[in-house]
Amino acid sequence: MKTCIACGMPMREISDFAGSDPSKDYCVHCSRPDGEMQSFKEKRESMTKFIVKTQGFDENAARKVAEDMMRKLPAWKSYFA
Amino acid sequence: MRISKRQIQKLNTRRKIIETSYRVFAEKGFSVPSSLIAKEAGVAHGSVFVHFPTMNDLLVSVLSDFGQKMGASLHELSKSESVEAFLREHLRVLEKYETFYSRLISEKNILPKEAKSTYAAIQSAAAYHFSNVVEQEINKGTVKKAPVHMLFNTWLGLVHYYLMNRDFFSGPDESVIERYGPELLTTYLKLIKNEGV
Repeated sequence: MKTCIACGMPMREISDFAGSDPSKDYCVHCSRPDGEMQSFKEKRESMTKFIVKTQGFDENAARKVAEDMMRKLPAWKSYFA
Repeated sequence: MRISKRQIQKLNTRRKIIETSYRVFAEKGFSVPSSLIAKEAGVAHGSVFVHFPTMNDLLVSVLSDFGQKMGASLHELSKSESVEAFLREHLRVLEKYETFYSRLISEKNILPKEAKSTYAAIQSAAAYHFSNVVEQEINKGTVKKAPVHMLFNTWLGLVHYYLMNRDFFSGPDESVIERYGPELLTTYLKLIKNEGV
């Protein structure tokens, strides 16, 4: 089973993949409306917002959690080199 | 690709060290020496270093392993529509790892940096799945309109309170989740659900 290279989500069903395309390495939540993968900054901000929304963290603390999560994902390796 | 016997052996040793660490961390805390893990796992001390060069590597690997197990169970349910089924599964996983998880939440603030961020990732994944199910119920009108983070934190706060005070709530070898889980779940659902729906 593939996991999204940009957020780590397991992609089990076709609808989990970007544009419902199982050849893609990233998921539906990590793609832009045009189907491309979100940029590092876009992903960091969307993850930060999501952590604030679902866990109520302080925004700076949430951004730190988001960065730590991204650090371990293949899509963002070069940003932490 | 064929895996050699030696590779299988290596994977088995790694697995044995991780499984033993769950138990030793649960019993003695996260600051134990690697020699104790080796002794309990029945492997040479050097073997632990081969697989995990530092205790931090071992700690992060065990936490990631736990995160994957919890994530996999919750992911399955996040597409179902009931908060109740989701929370029941959450409790089931927590009960399975109760002593380990209780130790984790008690020592979270003194964990090394990377372990702390792995902990944050575990809870973020749980929050993500929780938000999926709870938003569906809010939209259907079966759950009260309240900020998702408050709904999640209230649930986690409740469960963590019982786990962190296990000594007050249960006997030494008794599971708090087994004893109080149904009551926590029923009460929480009563608080968040719209009546008569």
